[in-house]
Amino acid sequence: MDRTKLISGVFFQLIPTKETFENRSGKWWFALLALVGLALIYISGLILVAVGSNSGIGLQVVAGTFVIGLLVLVSSAWRRWMVEQEFLTKKRAFIWFIGFCVIIVIAVSVASFAVLPAAALDLWFALVSGGFTLGFACLLLYDFYPVLKERGNPGLAVTAGILLVLSIVYMTFISYWIVPHDPFTLDVGLPLAPPSSRTPLGTTELGQDLLSRTIAGGAIMLQVAVVSVIVCFIIGVPTGLAAAYRGGMVDRVVSLVMDSIFAFPGLVLAIAIAAMLGPGIINMAISIAVVYVPSYYRVIRSQVLSIKELPYVEAAVVMGARDWEILFQYILPNALPSAIVVLSINFADAILTAAGLTFVGLGFPIDIADWGYDLTAGWGVLIIGKWWLMVFPGIMIVLLALGFTLAGEGLSEILTPKLRE
Amino acid sequence: MTNALRIQDLTVEYKTRRGVARAVDRIRLSLEENRTLGLAGESGCGKSTLGRAIMRLVPYPGQIADGNIYINIDEDIPCKEGDIPKGEVDITELNEEQMRVLRGKEIAYIFQDPMTSLNPMLTIGSHFVQMIRAHDPEIEKEEALDRGKEVLEGLGILPERVTDYPHQFSGGMRQRVMIGLGLVLRPRLLISDEPTTSLDVIVEAQILEQMAELKKKFNLTMILITHNLGVLAQTADDIAIMYCGRLVELASVENVFEAPQHPYAQALLLSVPDVTKPDKKLVWIPGAPPDLVDPIPGCMFNPRCPMAMDICKTQVPPLIESETGGLVACHLYGGK
Repeated sequence: MDRTKLISGVFFQLIPTKETFENRSGKWWFALLALVGLALIYISGLILVAVGSNSGIGLQVVAGTFVIGLLVLVSSAWRRWMVEQEFLTKKRAFIWFIGFCVIIVIAVSVASFAVLPAAALDLWFALVSGGFTLGFACLLLYDFYPVLKERGNPGLAVTAGILLVLSIVYMTFISYWIVPHDPFTLDVGLPLAPPSSRTPLGTTELGQDLLSRTIAGGAIMLQVAVVSVIVCFIIGVPTGLAAAYRGGMVDRVVSLVMDSIFAFPGLVLAIAIAAMLGPGIINMAISIAVVYVPSYYRVIRSQVLSIKELPYVEAAVVMGARDWEILFQYILPNALPSAIVVLSINFADAILTAAGLTFVGLGFPIDIADWGYDLTAGWGVLIIGKWWLMVFPGIMIVLLALGFTLAGEGLSEILTPKLRE
Repeated sequence: MTNALRIQDLTVEYKTRRGVARAVDRIRLSLEENRTLGLAGESGCGKSTLGRAIMRLVPYPGQIADGNIYINIDEDIPCKEGDIPKGEVDITELNEEQMRVLRGKEIAYIFQDPMTSLNPMLTIGSHFVQMIRAHDPEIEKEEALDRGKEVLEGLGILPERVTDYPHQFSGGMRQRVMIGLGLVLRPRLLISDEPTTSLDVIVEAQILEQMAELKKKFNLTMILITHNLGVLAQTADDIAIMYCGRLVELASVENVFEAPQHPYAQALLLSVPDVTKPDKKLVWIPGAPPDLVDPIPGCMFNPRCPMAMDICKTQVPPLIESETGGLVACHLYGGK
């Protein structure tokens, strides 16, 4: 990749000559406008909410995270500039970058203890995690966009999907500081009051502010999705790899177990396990993980079965490679892209299943803000015309699932040609 | 002259659903150091199976049923599960770990299809590093990479291309990389299984030329498996012709091309087109090779042989010394 490609992102066209702008395609302009427009809406919405926040320092928190994000971006840009100018080696520059990040974290912790000693840890966590999420989003646009752009539309889909997920993650991280009301306080307004200036998205059956609950409600869903997908990945990939590589009896037994899990309808099985284990993030994640492990196992197994017959694996044997080298350097890297695609699509599935579990009453008690819970409650009152209770949490679930699906579908298209190579 | 490789009564069988097929039938062969043996024959005659048997990598239903393969080793090779002593080693007796150590270090193998023989997820450099470190875990990564670069440079590939991935190379370059990978540990024996079949003639000539150079440089003993007799005429010292798993003729290149003894060798040469003789009438061999699962008695070639006698249908001809100094398995020459 040449230099001009390396330093051009969406926002950061460092050499904005006339022709670089004239040469842009319509798609590029559309993507830029959509991105800038959505970002503006998102940011102005954040600021609007933050101004009237319950904690009183919502605006400061948002501004703080933006400053941290920018600092991360600047230090990363500096790192790359140093490497390009050959002042530092890649490794050295990366260590410097990590050092900057650590300094930012320490500075933030000092600042948060100085400002708000009572809730310093919460403030520090919100600032650091929110700030680094923003920083990551900026880096995605600045650093990886040129890489993704080379892949055409799938690259755009991946970028859009990841940005969507990151914006929801960011909102969740700082939710405590920007919500207009405590999401658990009862009787903020009248029960089931329609959207008004005091409660912009209406209230729940118990008079809780729906806007606050919508902003804060993603935490559980995200945690459940992340934990369950990681558990799935950790169990499904190694078993698939081992079973397919070993073959014979091991393969048959494991396949039989996996296929019997697969034969159950997913949600029913998840409900059964969740009912058995009881409520809780980990339990919910486990019940979802059990449902989705077989899909990883199957994908990895079939991939390994075909890859281990390929000439380059045989060539490795001929050159005297050890068994584990063949497994981890030849077979796994070639099988992994398809598992990663399953992973990103499963994120969306896990979120919907988590919502489904809460929907049937196996989720969390009422004092926890959760989109799934509000969705369930809203379903009950939809018939009497109280649409807002169901619509807003529903939109958030759809957006999050959409983000993961876009990222997954795009990734599958980006990674598959390499497999065929 | 010592023998780099000695094969004694090697039999390889494929256990199929229809029965046992003998792909290699009691082959006896010895190969002197620094010589190139060309292994020729039509498809399915067992030449690739023989090559793989020397690596002990006969594909699945097949197994080495009988016989010994001795290779000569210069120095003791340390191995976790029993060191391999120097001198003549019977590789059919070695355990899996010893065999793994031997592969790549003493015997190298080059496959027919360079397009899929390299891992698409690893750079060329990592192939070299991984290969060298599999045999010598103590070696530094940089040093291994330098050795890879050196070998690649000798093969006409720019050393800075070690950071490239296989799909960024052409077919001929990939085959050169494969050859480089095979030779980086200085093996004594190189088995190449139709190394140039999928390449065009210009690249083929280049690669054959380079292989001949490398053979000199590294003191290699080579087995070249091919059905292309023209390639053998260029590169081999001796030619072994196989038919239905048996060795029918073994002689020096000149003798095989000037005065082939076995009727099958004669027929094989008649079927090769010759640029200098455009009027040459190509003769094919009528019929097809017999079924290996249900072999016919006597000489396997007798149904297609123009000079078949009665004895050919009952007795297997032994491999005897021919008039030109090679070996031949035919009853025509036995009646001295």
